[in-house]
Formats: sequence, C-alpha cells, structure tokens
Amino acid sequence: MLRWKYSRPLLALLLFVLAIAPLFAGNPLGKPGLQQTMAVAFLWGGLALTYDLLFGFTGLLSFGHALYFATGVYVSCILINHQVVPWWLAALIAMAVSSLLAFLVGAASLRTSGITFAMVTLAFGEAGHVIVNRNFFNLTGGENGIALDATHIPQIWIGVVNTKYIYWTALAALIFTYVVIWWVTESSAGRVFAALRDNEQRVQVLGLNTQHFKLLSFVISAALAALLGFVMLIAAGSAAPRFADSGVTISLLLMVVIGGAVTRWGAVLGGIFYSFASTRMQDLTQQESFKKIPHWIGGPIAEPALLLGLIFILIVMFSPGGLSGAYYRLRLKALSHKKP
Amino acid sequence: MDTFILIGITGIGLGALYFLIASGLSLIYGLMGVLNFAHGSFLTVGAFVGFWVASKMGAETSMPEFILAMIVGGLAAGLFALLIEQLLITRLYERHIDQALVTVGVSLVVGALLGGWFGNDLRMFPTPLWFLTAIDVGGAKIPADRVVYIATALLLLVGNWALLKFTRIGLVIRAGVENRNMVNALGINVKKAFSTVFFLGGFAAGVGGVLVSVYSNGVSPLIAGSYLIYGFIVVVIGGMGSVPGSFLAAMLIGIIRQFANYYVTGLGDFVVVILLAGVLLIKPQGLLGKVKA
Repeated sequence: MLRWKYSRPLLALLLFVLAIAPLFAGNPLGKPGLQQTMAVAFLWGGLALTYDLLFGFTGLLSFGHALYFATGVYVSCILINHQVVPWWLAALIAMAVSSLLAFLVGAASLRTSGITFAMVTLAFGEAGHVIVNRNFFNLTGGENGIALDATHIPQIWIGVVNTKYIYWTALAALIFTYVVIWWVTESSAGRVFAALRDNEQRVQVLGLNTQHFKLLSFVISAALAALLGFVMLIAAGSAAPRFADSGVTISLLLMVVIGGAVTRWGAVLGGIFYSFASTRMQDLTQQESFKKIPHWIGGPIAEPALLLGLIFILIVMFSPGGLSGAYYRLRLKALSHKKP
Repeated sequence: MDTFILIGITGIGLGALYFLIASGLSLIYGLMGVLNFAHGSFLTVGAFVGFWVASKMGAETSMPEFILAMIVGGLAAGLFALLIEQLLITRLYERHIDQALVTVGVSLVVGALLGGWFGNDLRMFPTPLWFLTAIDVGGAKIPADRVVYIATALLLLVGNWALLKFTRIGLVIRAGVENRNMVNALGINVKKAFSTVFFLGGFAAGVGGVLVSVYSNGVSPLIAGSYLIYGFIVVVIGGMGSVPGSFLAAMLIGIIRQFANYYVTGLGDFVVVILLAGVLLIKPQGLLGKVKA
C-alpha cells in the first residue's frame, strides 16, 4: 500500500538509463572517471544491502562484516594470481570459503546476543585484518596488499577505455545482490528472520531453532559480500588491508542507517550516496578555492568522516529509519489525509 | 630466565594499558548497557590534551610534570565523556542499539576533527628521560616506562575499588550494575551514577591515552584503534560490568599476547581471538561475569 504505483516503472527506467549511459559520449557517465566512481559506489550499495540483511532484517548488529568482504577480495586475488583455478572458479571458491568462515565464526559468536555479539564479531573481524597485515606465508602482501595479475582475467576488464565494462559488471553485481536479498527476505525464511528481530522468544516458543535461522542469515550475507569483494577486486585492481579494516563495517553501518534499514532500496541508496560523497568530497578539497578557507575549519572538512558522521548522528537522534523511513512516513501522512 | 621475566613484565605492562580502557567500557556497559565506541576518542582526547600540557614544559618533562600532564589529560577526557553522555547518550534512554550507533558517529567526528587539525603523523610525547632507562629485575632489563603503566593501572584499580566499595555513589553504581530497575524503584537517582561512571571511564581512558602515546612513541588521532578493540575483547573475556574481571582478563591477554608474539611474530593477536572464542564456548558470560536473569 505504501508503494507508489509508479515506483517500479520508474526504477526500471532509471536502471535502463544507468545501463546505457556509458554508451553515449555526451553525458558525464560517458567518461571513465565517473564510471569508475559509480562502479565502486554500486558495489558499496550492494554491500550495504548485504549488511542490511543482517542488521535490518535479522536484527544482528555485527561489527565483523568486513571479514567476509575481504575474504572475497583476498581469496579470489590469491587464487587468480597463483593461477590455481580460472577467475570465475576463483570467485566461486572465494564465496564458498567466506560462507564456511561465516558458518564457523557465526556458530561461536551467535552464542552471545545483542551488544556482546557486536563486540565478539568485531574481535573476529579485526583478527582478519591482523592476518592480512602480517603477510603469513607471503600470501597477502602485508600492509601493501597484492596487485591483481591482469593477465589472468578477461581483457575487457583491463585498461581505462574498458572502464565501462567494470561499470556494467558492478551494476550487474548490485542487481544480482538485490534480487537474491529480495528473494530471501520475502521467502518464509525471511519471515523468520524478521520475527527473530522483533521477538526472539516467540519464535523459540513456536518450536523453531533460532540459532539455525540466524546462522543462515549470517552465511547468506557473507557469501554475497564475498561475491561483491571479487568484483571490487576487479574494480580496484588490488587486494589491500583497507578492505579488511573494521572501518569498512562501520561505513556499512552508516550507509544502512543513513539510507534506512529494512527497506532494501534505502540501504542501496545509502551505500551509493556514502561512497559517492566520500570520493567527491576528497576531490573538492583539492581545489584552489578550498585552500583559502582557514585551516581550523578547512582541515576537518577535508575529512569526509566529519560531515558523514554528523549526518549519521543527527539521523540516529532525530530520524530513526533514515531517508527511506522518512519517505515512508511522509507517504503515510499523505495517504491518511486523502482517505477520510 | 631473564627473557622470560622481561616478556612477562612487558605483557603485564601492556595488560595495564588494556585495563585502563576496559575498566571504563565494562562499567559503562554494566550500568547502562551502552556499547561505547566513543571510548577510543576519549583516549585520543586525553592523549592530545596531555601532549599539549607536556609539550608546554619542553622537549622532556620531569616526573611531576608528566604526572600533571597525565592528570590533566585524564580530566579533559572525563569532561569530554560527560559532555557526550549529557548531550547524546541520555537522550536515547534505553535505546541501546541507537546509543551504540551514536557513539560510532562521535568517534568518526572526533577522528575527523583531530585528523584535520593535527594530521595523522605521530608527534613525539615529551617524557621524563628515565623512561628510557632499564630497571634490573632478577637479571632481566625491564624498560622503565612499563613500571609506570603497571603502577598507574594498579592505582586506578585500587581507586576504583575504594570508590565502589566505600562511597555512597559507589554503592549506587554497584547496585545499578546488579539490578538497575530495582535501584530506580527504590527512588534513588541513578542518573548521577551514570554521569559518574562516564566521567570515571573517560578519566581512565584519558590517562590511558597519555600512556598509550608514550608506548607507541607519539600522539596521533589513530593510536586508539587497536586498543579499543582489545578493550572490547578484555571486557567480554573478563565479564561485562566486572572491574576485577577486566583486570584479570587484561593481564592474561597482555601476557599471552607478548609470549605468543615472542615465539612466532604476529601470532599474538590470533591467539587472543582463539582465547575469546574458547571463553565464549565454555563460559559465554565471561570469567567473572554474572549470568543475567
């Protein structure tokens, strides 16, 4: 009822425009620079959605989501570089490894709940960060990370002129993630996830094994995050420890909260906005006019975290539900005025 | 034998730093159910203010000057914590997830402000010269600064214990950790206890910040990162809301981490996470934590 009747045709139109825009030279999306920025933004949109499955739909506040994303990036990069398997199989194995890891970590940490769960997942996530930083067996390249060997992936993903193919791949990955999560959250298992979030005891009384369902949500979200990690590897061209940092999970949390949890499109929009804003704000601060601002104001503004952090605090304090939540509230108001 | 003592005491020194952070986290969580991600920024604020005071004294400080810097840094962090509590946390009363989220926002904003103003490079912290000397303990040469960490942590542990045990507000805090609703129902104002706990937690973190910047050879907005995470691990292993539990867990983790790192470089962090998983499997409420009814 809350859905605007034109929202689906409009979404299809928007996707169509986004998909064909790189083909034409006249618009900003015809340039590789913006294509790259948007490709990364799409991937963050998808990642935010996988985080929304945990945080919004299942009510699990995990601070270790970066672990599964980074597993996707690193495992596929290592397998491709050492020519163990072809690139597509590397992506699949990365997803499998990530799922297995999520299963093991989830089985241990889901023994706790709520705030303790947040702390424990943070600790496991940070262990992943430490491992890639230490360069065990010379596999992860330590602090510098590892560059992806471009000779072992399809050549359409290489070079500046081919940025549009990366753009399309990222868009496709985002749509795939969206469809899977839409399907999961609308399925009967998805209903149980939502019930777990709202009232866990009640689910228990109904005779369902709550741990199993939480673990399922945890594993699905990890597998999708690993897939997006593989595409991020293609887009970034290297696997670096910054992908495993707990800052990744915190950014995802910000994206979901700013965009609004549980609405799916809110998380995607939040992710795209957040990634786009961080990249663009860094460009803005490089300009001449910006250097005239006194340092005590200009310095902090040059850090994207300041503005995004402030927006985040304001949304948590005054508009829980984020942008999409605010949209639905307005819509509810408009609808209730219409009907007497 | 002397390497054994050296690693052991260095581990205890590291554990002391963890404890300074974890004690506040644990009390804040125990009393108010707030997972405080801003605790790292309390530490950084304390470190920067302490650095500012110490650098006024010259390139090196005498011991009283260093202690002054430590106390001023601690007080600044305590006041900052109080401000955050009054301004943000109390307004989200009982919304625990939102409280945690807001503190994440605070840590980002503080990091951006300090990073923007001072840059992320390390700045040397002026310390007393004798911090660089070594003390002979049973044949092992212990770096002198480790002793300062341990002494400070012990002092704060005793101070904390005395406050909780012998003062009225301490009684209210202990009762609040046990059962907050009951304390409220008895007509006692818990809000004052909340503020006290935030101030004390901030103070300990600020003092810890000064010591952490000595340990990591300088001040920067990034020093808090790993200590906050270790603080969380210590709190979980020690048991939420139990200060002695935090102390025990901090020492345990500091020592285990140092020994593991000595035998295999980089193994320490890994062992600590395994330990965490083990504790969760066997005793999910932590070593000295109580099972919440």
